[in-house]
Amino acid sequence: MNNWLNQHIQTLKLVLSRMHNNMLSTFMICLVIGVAMCLPSLFYLAVDNLSKLTDHMQKDTEISLFLKVDANTDEIKEVERQLAKNQGIANFHLVTKEEAWQQLQTKSRSNQEISDAVSQLGKNPLPDAFFIQAKSSDPDSLIRLKDTLQNLPSVELALLNTEWVKRLSSLLSLGKKLISMIAGLLAIVLLVIIGNTVRMQILTQKDEIEVSNLIGATRSFIRMPFLYAGALYGLFGGLMAVLMLIGIIQAFNLSISQIAHLYSNDFSVTLFDTQLFLAVIISAISIGWIGSYIAVSRAIASYKIN
Amino acid sequence: MIQFDKVTKRYPGSDEILKNISFNIDAGEFVFLTGHSGAGKSTLLKLIAATERPTSGTVLIANQNVSQLKPSAIPFLRRRFGLIFQDHKLLYDRNCFENVILPLHINGVTGQEAAKRVRAALDKVGLLNKEKAMPITLSGGEQQRLAIARAVVSRPSILLADEPTGNLDASYAADIMAIFYAFNQVGVTVIMSTHDALGMSARQNRVMHINQGSLTEHLLKEPHLDQAPSSVERFTS
Repeated sequence: MNNWLNQHIQTLKLVLSRMHNNMLSTFMICLVIGVAMCLPSLFYLAVDNLSKLTDHMQKDTEISLFLKVDANTDEIKEVERQLAKNQGIANFHLVTKEEAWQQLQTKSRSNQEISDAVSQLGKNPLPDAFFIQAKSSDPDSLIRLKDTLQNLPSVELALLNTEWVKRLSSLLSLGKKLISMIAGLLAIVLLVIIGNTVRMQILTQKDEIEVSNLIGATRSFIRMPFLYAGALYGLFGGLMAVLMLIGIIQAFNLSISQIAHLYSNDFSVTLFDTQLFLAVIISAISIGWIGSYIAVSRAIASYKIN
Repeated sequence: MIQFDKVTKRYPGSDEILKNISFNIDAGEFVFLTGHSGAGKSTLLKLIAATERPTSGTVLIANQNVSQLKPSAIPFLRRRFGLIFQDHKLLYDRNCFENVILPLHINGVTGQEAAKRVRAALDKVGLLNKEKAMPITLSGGEQQRLAIARAVVSRPSILLADEPTGNLDASYAADIMAIFYAFNQVGVTVIMSTHDALGMSARQNRVMHINQGSLTEHLLKEPHLDQAPSSVERFTS
């Protein structure tokens, strides 16, 4: 057990000192891995945050229920009762035609043309309206609720402004599929890059493999330093990707905060997405390991006895 | 210890290098393997070290049939041997100490115990003061002695040396031979290929001569050595 541990420590030391001796090339390899890991992570971050944003917007969606212009107080009371009974509704409020008319007049005062137009109307053309907040933010159930409300007596029009939200969320799910494809392609690229790097290292350490093989090293012993090297490249590359991501998010947040401020929204991208960072590092390490495993196994196979 | 029974070796696209060879080497023997270059000395050593398999016939090492060994068992068979090559096969990216410690790491010996054994091996070949030196800075004779230190550090029971003195001048060669004899004296089986078995031995030694794939054997006899002959063949006629 102690020997086993010692052997791994020795190997790790050897690999680290080799990397230390070839700082520049090690850095380049890690940089390639870092950038390749960074790209899909950025896509992921963009889509993830957009879908959070749309969830947020969907919560704010309300259904506007316009009654017929000639609806009388009893009919309004009836609709109000129906709304109170409905399980899917979180809350609602009534804006009567008089209130709406007043609001329109107040709001249009700043604009000469509109206020002229409004005053030319003479009488109030606006209907009574209910503004309803649904309990669910799921687009489908919102539509079902809208349809039910549309069929209430003395309702002229039920209006749901979620069409674009729906389109956006379907676009986003398309984006997610795209990310997984891009991530898959980049994973293949990484496998090839790391495999190739390890293959080059095998060329420079051909003697070592040959001699070790001749003096009775098992395959796993010969493989070990290369596997460590691959995994370490992955680790350093993954860490580099995380650093790049943090830098990019930071820069992004700085400029987004100005825009978000204009829309009085405190939206920002979380700086430390621990899950994402862990996923990046772990997948980089595993890709490094697998890449070098393939490369070194092929090299060892060429020394088989005949 | 080492038994060849009707062993034939042919490489693809070439004639038979070894034809129907049978012999037996016991533990503790010191055997010279002679023949002109290309005669198959190296091939014979490779068959013993299980880096090649016989085309036909059986090779038994310590009663194990090499042809029937599983690939995963081969490394453990090889650990019984100390291998010394004409071109040393040292690793030039590490110093003497690290070169010699490699077989111990392979055997799972590490730490203080390993360091002690490495220094003992370096001491035996007279390189103790060079443990931090890089192999490239050593002379040819020193490099060969370093290779010997690496071969003996894991205390193998059989030393296989492929023309270990081939590239060395006479005084270095004598040094190396003295080292081999010292190991033989403590019971290590030594099999050494050379194209000149002379001037090396002051004792009775078994000589296996390969010519055109066939093996002839004879004893190198002391009285003849006194006459300073120049080739093995003279003793045998």
